[in-house]
Amino acid sequence: MARTSEGIEVEGTVVECLRNATFRVELENGHRVLAHISGKIRRNYIKILPYDRVLVELSPYDLTRGRILFRYRT
Amino acid sequence: MDSARSTPGMDDHAVAITRVAETQWHAVEDDLTVGRGYTSRRPDGRMFLSIDAWHGAAFDRLADAMLADLPKPLYTVIDEADLDSAVKWKRSGFTTRRREWEYLVPTDPQITGLGSALPPAGVTIVAVGRAEKGPLLALDRVIRDEVEATVGWREMPAEVPPHPDGVTTTDPSEYAVAAQAGEYVGLLRVTTVSRRPRCRRIRLIAIRSDRRRRGIARALLAHVLGSMHRCGIETAWADVNESNEAAVALFEGVGARRASSNLELVLR
Repeated sequence: MARTSEGIEVEGTVVECLRNATFRVELENGHRVLAHISGKIRRNYIKILPYDRVLVELSPYDLTRGRILFRYRT
Repeated sequence: MDSARSTPGMDDHAVAITRVAETQWHAVEDDLTVGRGYTSRRPDGRMFLSIDAWHGAAFDRLADAMLADLPKPLYTVIDEADLDSAVKWKRSGFTTRRREWEYLVPTDPQITGLGSALPPAGVTIVAVGRAEKGPLLALDRVIRDEVEATVGWREMPAEVPPHPDGVTTTDPSEYAVAAQAGEYVGLLRVTTVSRRPRCRRIRLIAIRSDRRRRGIARALLAHVLGSMHRCGIETAWADVNESNEAAVALFEGVGARRASSNLELVLR
């Protein structure tokens, strides 16, 4: 887990695609968060699927919510 | 880039907006980055925006700053199911320009009804990976010129980007083609999702304008979906512009179902 001026970033695995363009992501520490995808990912039409490894930025206001910043290729 | 705007007193959020680079804006509140905005230019010259913000006030102020700095028209893409994003962008004046459906396409001939779909007389289908590069490049150029001269690439699915003039990169291993009288007249590009070996995406189906309405696209689709089915692949994905009635009819006619949709928004 990395704490930067940009926020808390942590890797995780997508476990479920939910309605309203959100995803349930299990973080490395076992916690699960609800995450939506960043505008850059949306703009580039990058598909997020269950079992994808992703980098999530956690909300500074609610650590159960986050934003998927990056999808790893493997 | 160092332009900055501070807007205290609105909605109890004192958010400072700074353009930190030519294509990037930050929203900072209490020494915390609460939002970021980006721009990028598509190959067709259009500028697309994206904004990520942790609360609505940060989104609005980023949007205000970016829209004040950038020439219009401006574009963005959202998932239609993301109602929260839609509300925010429309609050900033964006309106829907186009909708692109993502279809799940069955491959089973029992479902698609394509088991008996034969090519029109005189047309043969060349399997994926068997096309010759020279004729394929020639067909690709003809089709691109036709698109540019008619509806334009802005009306094509976003995953079918235009190529810079004179540069056409075509990998024959991704194409099935329809041949007639010694030349290629139609193509279907299909790719594997790299991290999902059993997933296929249909990226493009295109038939030369003078050979349309003869069942060539349907024959190409029948051939490719049939091949997938024999390999044990049950569904493929395809993105289709809602306004492309022929493509919508083709996919829905074989039992494809809508799984999601993206909206392209514009601010003129």
